[in-house]
Amino acid sequence: MQGTISCARNYNMTTTVGESLRPLSLKTQGNGERVRMVVEENAVIVIGRRGCCMCHVVRRLLLGLGVNPAVLEIDEEREDEVLSELENIGVQGGGGTVKLPAVYVGGRLFGGLDRVMATHISGELVPILKEVGALWL
Amino acid sequence: MGDTSPRTSVSTDGDTDHNNLMFDEGHLGIGASDSSDRSKSKMDQKTLRRLAQNREAARKSRLRKKAYVQQLENSRLKLTQLEQELQRARQQGVFISSSGDQAHSTAGDGAMAFDVEYRRWQEDKNRQMKELSSAIDSHATDSELRIIVDGVIAHYEELYRIKGNAAKSDVFHLLSGMWKTPAERCFLWLGGFRSSELLKLIASQLEPLTEQQSLDINNLQQSSQQAEDALSQGMDNLQQSLADTLSSGTLGSSSSGNVASYMGQMAMAMGKLGTLEGFIRQADNLRLQTYQQMVRLLTTRQSARALLAVHNYTLRLRALSSLWLARPRE
Repeated sequence: MQGTISCARNYNMTTTVGESLRPLSLKTQGNGERVRMVVEENAVIVIGRRGCCMCHVVRRLLLGLGVNPAVLEIDEEREDEVLSELENIGVQGGGGTVKLPAVYVGGRLFGGLDRVMATHISGELVPILKEVGALWL
Repeated sequence: MGDTSPRTSVSTDGDTDHNNLMFDEGHLGIGASDSSDRSKSKMDQKTLRRLAQNREAARKSRLRKKAYVQQLENSRLKLTQLEQELQRARQQGVFISSSGDQAHSTAGDGAMAFDVEYRRWQEDKNRQMKELSSAIDSHATDSELRIIVDGVIAHYEELYRIKGNAAKSDVFHLLSGMWKTPAERCFLWLGGFRSSELLKLIASQLEPLTEQQSLDINNLQQSSQQAEDALSQGMDNLQQSLADTLSSGTLGSSSSGNVASYMGQMAMAMGKLGTLEGFIRQADNLRLQTYQQMVRLLTTRQSARALLAVHNYTLRLRALSSLWLARPRE
């Protein structure tokens, strides 16, 4: 049950304390290395616009499974910048554009809420989460 | 409408009645003045006769009034019956006019088009279900059943596609459930049913399930519930942030308020309302995924029975709605 990954102690990441999300003040260093590091260091991370309700849904769903995901909230003016950085990350299968909110599992792009929902219902999600060490049971 | 006309007629009748009495009294009066010189006993006799006649006339008048009121009452009952029949006909068939005047004055073409499409979808569904039901009864082979079952799932997919389009043009129409019957609206969650609730209903209808199957269905029910909870919490979150956005800044001061910040607030609120469409889409996605998974977990024959059970349940809800709408109201 305690299979939660505490998120990114080294960054000003949102450690999800109670109900409130402490926003991450993410400063880009050079060519998006910071975003890549945050994504790679967290078994599960949800990335979305600040205050996005769908992010909240994804996070709630994961919390329900016993995973406490890191949450990266992007300000509007930083969106393009972060998105282009994200697109450099999980591009092994042809890549393409990243749509927000995006969930990264094990450092790779997993998908949006559609995918999370579908794999949750089909029972595939939990094994995937266990595989990346976001969940022990 | 049905109320006012009988009432007016009754009061007219009352007037006639009154006139009758006046006339009778007038008669009496004339009689009395005529016989002013006659003997007292004769006059008394005459007066008594007139009074008796008068009473008789009044009694007849009362009876006439009673008959008239009775007649009106019958007409009123007939009218109510007609109204109920009309309502029932609307419920079963003409969906366009059933969604209520109020909804329609605000609803645009998108909502109307959706109602029409949804009605057509329902007719197709009824046909499919008849086919499925007779296939089960006639002990059709699994592969025959499988084709129909896959068809039903594809048909649901089609509904969610239609809803997705409708949500783009009028998300509030879908959320309001005005396209459904009243009893169905009672169970409405994000523009549709809760998969977890349906699974609960189905599970008891599918005996006998293997141990593994009942475990799987139980897990599926829980997963659906978790996803529903997450979406509900997201909706709460949306409401909260909508309220926060609208109430931020100066709610108190009325006039001088900064126009630019007001417009900014509205723009942000509009953006938030825009995500409602996403909620409907995700809820429908959840419903579809649940159906698909259910079919994966069950045998073909069980799936067929499950889909039929869901359909019959919906039919009962609709029948309940019709009964409710046709109930006597006083």
